[in-house]
Amino acid sequence: MPPIDKTAVLQGLTGVFREVFDNPTLNLREEMTAADVENWDSLNHIDLIVAVERKFKIKFTTREVTGLKTVGDLAELTATKVSAVP
Amino acid sequence: MTLTSFKFLLLLPLVVALYHVLPARHRVLFLLLISYAYVCTWSVRGALAMLVATVFAFVVGKFAGNTKSPQRAYVAVFSAVSVLTLYLVFFKLTAALPFGQVGRLAAPIGLSYYTFKLLSYVIDVYWGKLNPARSFQEFAAAIAFFPQITAGPIQRPGSFLAQLPPRNAALWMGLSRLVWGLAKKVLVADNLAPAVNYVFSHVHGLHGSALLVGYYLFPLQMYADFSALTDVALGMGMLFGIQGPENFNRPFTATSISDFWRRWHMSLTNWLADYVFTPLRMATRSAGTAGLVLSITLNMLAVGLWHGFTLGYFVFGLLNAAYLVGDVLTIRRRASFFKANPDLDRAGNWAGWALTLHLFFLAMVFFRARAVSDATWFLAHLGTSLGAFRLDLAQLASAVGSSSLAFGLIGFLVVELAERFRPDQWWRRVEAAGPVWLRWSVRCAIAACVISAFFFLTVRPGSQESAFLYQVF
Repeated sequence: MPPIDKTAVLQGLTGVFREVFDNPTLNLREEMTAADVENWDSLNHIDLIVAVERKFKIKFTTREVTGLKTVGDLAELTATKVSAVP
Repeated sequence: MTLTSFKFLLLLPLVVALYHVLPARHRVLFLLLISYAYVCTWSVRGALAMLVATVFAFVVGKFAGNTKSPQRAYVAVFSAVSVLTLYLVFFKLTAALPFGQVGRLAAPIGLSYYTFKLLSYVIDVYWGKLNPARSFQEFAAAIAFFPQITAGPIQRPGSFLAQLPPRNAALWMGLSRLVWGLAKKVLVADNLAPAVNYVFSHVHGLHGSALLVGYYLFPLQMYADFSALTDVALGMGMLFGIQGPENFNRPFTATSISDFWRRWHMSLTNWLADYVFTPLRMATRSAGTAGLVLSITLNMLAVGLWHGFTLGYFVFGLLNAAYLVGDVLTIRRRASFFKANPDLDRAGNWAGWALTLHLFFLAMVFFRARAVSDATWFLAHLGTSLGAFRLDLAQLASAVGSSSLAFGLIGFLVVELAERFRPDQWWRRVEAAGPVWLRWSVRCAIAACVISAFFFLTVRPGSQESAFLYQVF
């Protein structure tokens, strides 16, 4: 798959976040953390990860998931994974 | 020797003074030696056990961090996690089995706290979140750091190591936090303790109203006691330039069980979220809701059993798992309901607050009761024979002293108000950039509190020196 632009990933992630956190007006920024998004905590973090996996048809590992600190980290990891898909 | 014993508090100024007189390059070694000396006052064998476990995790961390082979790193870390978990489980089991007395004698002090620090270290190195520690001395100091060794908070080695060499000792902030913790323990927790102890040791002989007093008071006593110990640990850490993680964030204001568990014993729940819940949830993510329920249940059982392998802690964990599953599975429906009925939102918050507290308090009966049969009897008779409540309360007051109970309750109210209005934040601003006269006025007030605390602890009879509830884990 050709390399994917991080902005395009962020746009895709916005849709996923809006759906998972039931917030249709949410606008994502790269520097956002769990503290900036209502209801984003460890209990539903993996629900978000599963939704991202489905949307972009990729798979994350536990090691990758626990290292994420910001929305930007998630966008970057997603972009890398999407680009690596043959 | 407990952190609030007179002997220890007498030694503390000397230790702090020596620490600050020493050249910076020797300070970590000094902290390490003092920490091991402190553990030796409990048990030399416990100190040796901690040293062996620390060397083991350090060697595994070095290997996992430096090897080029991911398979070898995996095998090393998997083996280390298994060995450390077995080490912890072994001592927890020996304490719970019929030959428990032997186990209790053998259980190293601070076992549950430093084993969790060691586990997080080897896993973080394996996950690439942390570089292997540069020196054994620094690593061992992070594991054994004496203010945290008996009852936490569980500061992950990465957070401790990042502060080395410690440069910014916050003496006045540390002293004020320390004195606040001591006051909370001695004036609030220890005044609530007699009533709680009386109710829970006479469960079968009391009417419902006295049981109700125990039902409501024990969580307050536990909070005052445990959060006081966290204050003492964090305050002492600041005296040596180490900032530890917070353990509580006004838990009794939570409006749901998930909210509550984000505010109670946070260093433990955050640890479990990262190293138990998230890996479990990832492994079971294809199983949908069943995977979520299983992950929550195992995580909350781990919260319960971390305190010890008893049926009471198991039921405590299981009840909280049930509450949390109920909370998580209904969260969307509740959110849509309150979105459609915004005028009920405020009432919903109050109802959520009351329900959360009562459910948690119910689980705490299993935490505190001597046996599960006592806890079920307690709950079955809660609120029975309420007609005799005046007599019951008079009997309870005469047994434990009404003044200590009233003092404890007023003290608890002061604690809640202080945590609501946070005078410490104002003090932090003054200490950082306030006018000199104000800074020194507050410092003099703190010094007066320290001297009063010393005086109080000196005149307190030795028999009244009570251990913290969380020191036994």
